[in-house]
Amino acid sequence: MIELKGVTKVFPSGIDALHDINLTIGKEEFVFLVGSSGAGKTTLMKLLYREEKPTAGKVVVDRVNVAELAPDQVPYLRRNIGVVFQDFKLLPKRTIYENVAFALRVTGAPRSTIRRKAMQALELVGMLRRANSFPDELSGGEKQRACIARAIVNNPPILLADEPTGNLDPTTSWDILQLLDKINKRNTTVVVATHNKSIVDEMKRRVVELEEGRLVRDQQLGMYSV
Amino acid sequence: MFSSLEFFTIEAFRSLRRGTLMSSVAVVTIAVSLSIFGAFLLLIMNLSNIVGTVSSRLDLVAYTSQNLSLEDAGAIQIKIAKLPGVEHVEFTSKAEAWKKFKEDFGGKVDLGGALHDNPLPHTFAVRVRTPELLPVAAKAISDLGVIDEVRYSGKLIDRMKSLVSAVRVGGISLIALLSFATLLIVVNTIRLTVIARETDIYIMKLVGATNTFVKWPFIIEGLILGLIGGGASFLILKFSYESVAARLGAALPFLPVFNDQFALTVIYASLLIGGMGLGLIGGYISVSRALKNEG
Repeated sequence: MIELKGVTKVFPSGIDALHDINLTIGKEEFVFLVGSSGAGKTTLMKLLYREEKPTAGKVVVDRVNVAELAPDQVPYLRRNIGVVFQDFKLLPKRTIYENVAFALRVTGAPRSTIRRKAMQALELVGMLRRANSFPDELSGGEKQRACIARAIVNNPPILLADEPTGNLDPTTSWDILQLLDKINKRNTTVVVATHNKSIVDEMKRRVVELEEGRLVRDQQLGMYSV
Repeated sequence: MFSSLEFFTIEAFRSLRRGTLMSSVAVVTIAVSLSIFGAFLLLIMNLSNIVGTVSSRLDLVAYTSQNLSLEDAGAIQIKIAKLPGVEHVEFTSKAEAWKKFKEDFGGKVDLGGALHDNPLPHTFAVRVRTPELLPVAAKAISDLGVIDEVRYSGKLIDRMKSLVSAVRVGGISLIALLSFATLLIVVNTIRLTVIARETDIYIMKLVGATNTFVKWPFIIEGLILGLIGGGASFLILKFSYESVAARLGAALPFLPVFNDQFALTVIYASLLIGGMGLGLIGGYISVSRALKNEG
């Protein structure tokens, strides 16, 4: 599903964010990406949905080399990748339903499909009753659920979550991870970048560790640290 | 496609409603710029009109030889009237001229009995269609044979001509500059509304919206702002011009106020269309720049 071959990313400022990364993530896998701040987790994620381009190497997502994708094809790549952020990035002037429906609208989906799919996504994340609330009226956990609903409303085969629990308390964090696990079980490849040691240790999934832009560990049923 | 168009329009109105302040600034900017533009256009039209009217009042005067009979003079008048470019010919017989001369000067100047006989020739006052035709008409009239002398004010005509062309050239350059300045102001104003929506654009791109899709709501928003601004400038200009023209006509009746209804309609319509064009181009340029920054 996802394959990185000899991927190096050097930013124009000279910062060496990733160095010769080789990584394969299979279909419907659940992977934790761990490492301290600045290790390159976010950059690696950005390469997958082409917010950044690698300096060298190949980034293959669903058999397509994303690095060489023509700019007008990028939107279609992104429709196949859901992204969840630490700061949610919900549109503040729109209700939760509108936020979720927005992701479908911009793909030009017909109205009847939009309504049905948006409702399904909200139901899956348990936010149906808050559909008409505005982001400001929600708790952090609820906002993250809304953000996840938006990420999965297109039924993308891949879901990327960058520090999804960074702003949440431990109980809520655990709930969010359960939700991501549930989505993974619905045949979605899930990659979670996180600092959250207790969750990684509890979940016992594949763990990929980055350190100063290098891949230093790739372990099935891993823990946060060795 | 229909549902997309509906979406774009809803998004455009939504943005207008949310950014009431910025939208108002954009509308006022467009309205003011276009009003200045339109006012300037009307000023140029009026100047050209005045120059044109004054030029058309320019006559040439032809004096016949002394001993021409009235009958022959009548025949000459018909010939002159048939010359190309001649609009009007007015005949003054030597007797009428003499009478008028005596009336004007008889009491004031002592002619000392020197002039008992009428020394004046018959005269033709000839009006031509455009000032450029004056020399041509003068030559043609001289060639009729019985004409002694043709007079017209060559210098004044040249000055008028250069004034007309200066007004035209200067006007066109100024209008071009004003249009460009207006476009810059509008682009920058709409850009502020785009900047206010950068998160929206980021999210749209993230969830897989194509650039075209992101652009449309902004273009429609620009179009609406331009239409309102253009409409406002149309109303401002129409009513203020009508009232100024009416007052000017009353105060200075000899001044030819430009009042060609068709041309005025074209000017007013150009404000509306110009407003929409400015808004459309402004919206397009602004959002394209934002998208370029987004990558």
